Amino acid sequence: MNERELDLQLIQRIQNGEQQAFALLVRKYQTRVANILTRYVRSSGDIPDVSQEVFIKVYKSLPNFRGDSAFYTWLFRITVNTAKNYLTSQSRRPPASDIDAEEADSYDGSGALKDDANPEAILHSQEVKQVILKVIGDLPDELKSAITLRELEGMSYDEIAQIENCPIGTVRSRIFRAREAIDKQLKPLLEN
Amino acid sequence: MKEYSQDLSSLMDNELGDKEVINTILDDTVLQKQFSRYQLIGDVLRDESNGLDLRMDITDNVMAAIANEKQDDYVAPLAAAPEKSNVVPFMKRFGQYAIAASVAGVVVVSSLMVNQGSSTDPSVAPVLNTVPFGGAAAPVSLQATPLQSENEIKERNERVEALLKDHQLQLQTQP
Repeated sequence: MNERELDLQLIQRIQNGEQQAFALLVRKYQTRVANILTRYVRSSGDIPDVSQEVFIKVYKSLPNFRGDSAFYTWLFRITVNTAKNYLTSQSRRPPASDIDAEEADSYDGSGALKDDANPEAILHSQEVKQVILKVIGDLPDELKSAITLRELEGMSYDEIAQIENCPIGTVRSRIFRAREAIDKQLKPLLEN
Repeated sequence: MKEYSQDLSSLMDNELGDKEVINTILDDTVLQKQFSRYQLIGDVLRDESNGLDLRMDITDNVMAAIANEKQDDYVAPLAAAPEKSNVVPFMKRFGQYAIAASVAGVVVVSSLMVNQGSSTDPSVAPVLNTVPFGGAAAPVSLQATPLQSENEIKERNERVEALLKDHQLQLQTQP
């Protein structure tokens, strides 16, 4: 099963009335949506509101989603349109250079201008990032390698198993153990 | 819990399509929040969260907004229901017809009674007299002179007044 198939399965569940499946889609894509919005929405305080608007629009439009394109491509278009509408409502013009749906996956919003980035939020984000990188650095090599190949290289379990010369089940377990170790440190940080 | 946590990790990597596991995750808020954190780990590693407030989790707000909108959709038709009160209850409508029929009956009977006296041959008087309220039908002519007596005019006016009152009564009884 690839990402597109999993998304489609969740969408079919939503279309059949399983609203909770939409919560999983929101959890999966909210950071990517917010990342795209940083390109358009300069006030970081507005990003949660605009993100919320994006997902409500997506939910309302889901009955029309036929799966011709990947869900993320479709979500990306709605995000950009919502961001542009937001700029119009703020009497501001969209940025001169636009981003395409094709480059959405690899889009890095770090260069986007932000008027009023919240210093507390920046500090907190840095702390979260440091904790994650530190835990990964302290992991045994086999776990570090597995999580890195999966998250940074986007490799499948099968591909990682071939590189690491181990069964797929072992890859599955290693990636999970790496995530579990990071989550143990991350959870209190996010809850506080 | 640990068993499902590993499934959650596999689901995130698109390496799991088991519907039952997905059902369990969808029903478990703790697992869903764990899914968010696992997702965040990947986002941070890929530098997709730069400049974002990582405490931001809009899931609950989005789901609440959707639930509210659904509720509004249900409330809207209920609120609109009173507008459909154009449908007149049967007894009310029946009452209106009864009033209209009795008024028409009174008019016909009174016309018959008025015209009985003027009839030259009672044996050939029509069952339903169609002579207008004026008492007689005169040919249209500019030279025509009124043939009505004072009493006839008075009676006609009284009937017209009675008709007007009935008409007003009917208007009041209509919705």
